[in-house]
Amino acid sequence: MMTTNYLEILAINGKASIQDIGRLNTQHLGFSVSGAADEHAYLYANKLIADHYRKIAASDESTQKKCPALEITLGQITLRANTACTVAIAGADCQVKLNETLISNWQCYQLQAGDIIDFAMPKSGLHSYLAVMGGVKGDEKQQAWLSSFAQTENEMALNVIGNKLKAGSKLFFPKQELLTATTAQKQSLKSSKQLTFFEPNAPELFYPQSQITLRFIASTLFLQFPPKKQSAFLATNYVISPDSNRMGYRLALKNRPIPKNKILADKLRENCVLSKPVTYGMIQFPTNEQPIILMKERQTMGGYPVLGSIMQTDLFRLSQMRPGQGVTFSLTNYQQAQQQLQAFYKKFI
Amino acid sequence: MTTQKNHQLSPTFSIEVVAENAVLLSWPQQISAKQHNNIIALQSALNQQLSSLIVDSVASYHCLMIYYQFQLISTEALIERVTTISTDTNYALNNPDDNSSSEQQLQVCIQIPVYYDTQLQWDLQKVAQHCDISTEEVIKQHSSTIYRSYALGFTPGFCYLASLPKVLSVPRMSSPRTKVPKGAVAIAEQQTAVYPNESPGGWHIIGQTPLAMYQCKNGKFIPTITVGQRVQFYAISKTEFLALEQRAAL
Repeated sequence: MMTTNYLEILAINGKASIQDIGRLNTQHLGFSVSGAADEHAYLYANKLIADHYRKIAASDESTQKKCPALEITLGQITLRANTACTVAIAGADCQVKLNETLISNWQCYQLQAGDIIDFAMPKSGLHSYLAVMGGVKGDEKQQAWLSSFAQTENEMALNVIGNKLKAGSKLFFPKQELLTATTAQKQSLKSSKQLTFFEPNAPELFYPQSQITLRFIASTLFLQFPPKKQSAFLATNYVISPDSNRMGYRLALKNRPIPKNKILADKLRENCVLSKPVTYGMIQFPTNEQPIILMKERQTMGGYPVLGSIMQTDLFRLSQMRPGQGVTFSLTNYQQAQQQLQAFYKKFI
Repeated sequence: MTTQKNHQLSPTFSIEVVAENAVLLSWPQQISAKQHNNIIALQSALNQQLSSLIVDSVASYHCLMIYYQFQLISTEALIERVTTISTDTNYALNNPDDNSSSEQQLQVCIQIPVYYDTQLQWDLQKVAQHCDISTEEVIKQHSSTIYRSYALGFTPGFCYLASLPKVLSVPRMSSPRTKVPKGAVAIAEQQTAVYPNESPGGWHIIGQTPLAMYQCKNGKFIPTITVGQRVQFYAISKTEFLALEQRAAL
């Protein structure tokens, strides 16, 4: 029997895909890790649902925390709930409307059958997340592909992670049932309403304003630079260039023209010939010396010289920044980066 | 200027901490079957012995990236265990009695049929001109070499094969094509490869294969070529190509 538990995309003008924490163990086969561009907002949305239900039903909602959610890039999407469901919205503020009424970002809502939820283009930021209790998938029979539901644009041709989302696409979710909830609690979910209100740690504060300093772990190559060249890189102001995407962020020099003195000496560059495995946040440095930062949908191998890797918590911040915004770099070490990441995950998982 | 250390552990490889959850092992930068054998032997030993800690590992010509659960083990402890296991692995490699079945499997030579670009739709002519040889000689050189698969990456099932005969060495295209057809057989520098699906690409296309580069079966991804295997190309006619392509589509 066909399930009727879905949200239908009525209109879409931006980009949207299904994302989760990513395909963590298949880079050896050539698969991109992919996953939510901004883990902070993605995990936040799922946690809102998980926490809310733990409160009212004392149920174990640990599985909710990494459920696949809808990642919306630059808003502009309208969905209709075919049956009642619990959702949460987080990330770039899209002035979301529930049945024509403006609702708050970073909150959890109960939707009823027929409810329409509409995301406008955000004034700042890029990615917004719509999480649903139990997660969403593009086809009700869709199984996780290599342990993830993440959709990678370059891998859609393999036809294993569902279709590209468009108007008319349905996002299926499991039956919204609270086994341990009381009748009164169940009754309370029979109207459309906001379920969470109070947020002590304003989640927006996680993100920088118009400029970001990316802390990175230096590569062996960077450590071979003469101090003057290291300082030159650290003193350079870059801007995010328009051809940045979920795969990589390309940076351009803020103050053109390109300086005559190269940061990376030819002799050191010539030592980087063969392709090697690359990881999240690596700073590639092509001959034009305009850095490329590898993001979630990166390829698994790369041939450009690498100056280091940006700490992951800063990458979640970077993922929400737009072309034209400023970037500088500063050094950190892996111990500090690990501490930050561990503290970050403690908040969510 | 920084507190990061480069751990120099043995004369064969160095270990660099490249992320919160990843260390990169680097050997001398060269295309060498012997060195690569050591790398994949170590990879397999690490995956086996540290299975509860390692999330994924990716091998290439001279590197091995190890992704691990940094919440479960300190970087220093991981590096120590990797070093210990590498010493044991070196010992095993020097003892030929220990001939595992996986090593025998690597001796198999995968045959890839290629309809070479004899109608000159792609880059065969340009490659021949650049190398100053005939198109027939390009085909002969390309198909008479036995390659080794050094890395999987770029896209699922894309396998870096080396070494191409020196006479066929051409630099990558100055600007990549936005669309390379599925099954394109291409060359660049010392390498050759098959594009598993239509994708962008900057290598020179000298032919096309009807052979699928992977299968997706029962939720599993099975690449046609695995890292460490031997590969050879052989020429087929257009008629054979079309027949094989049709059979593959069934």
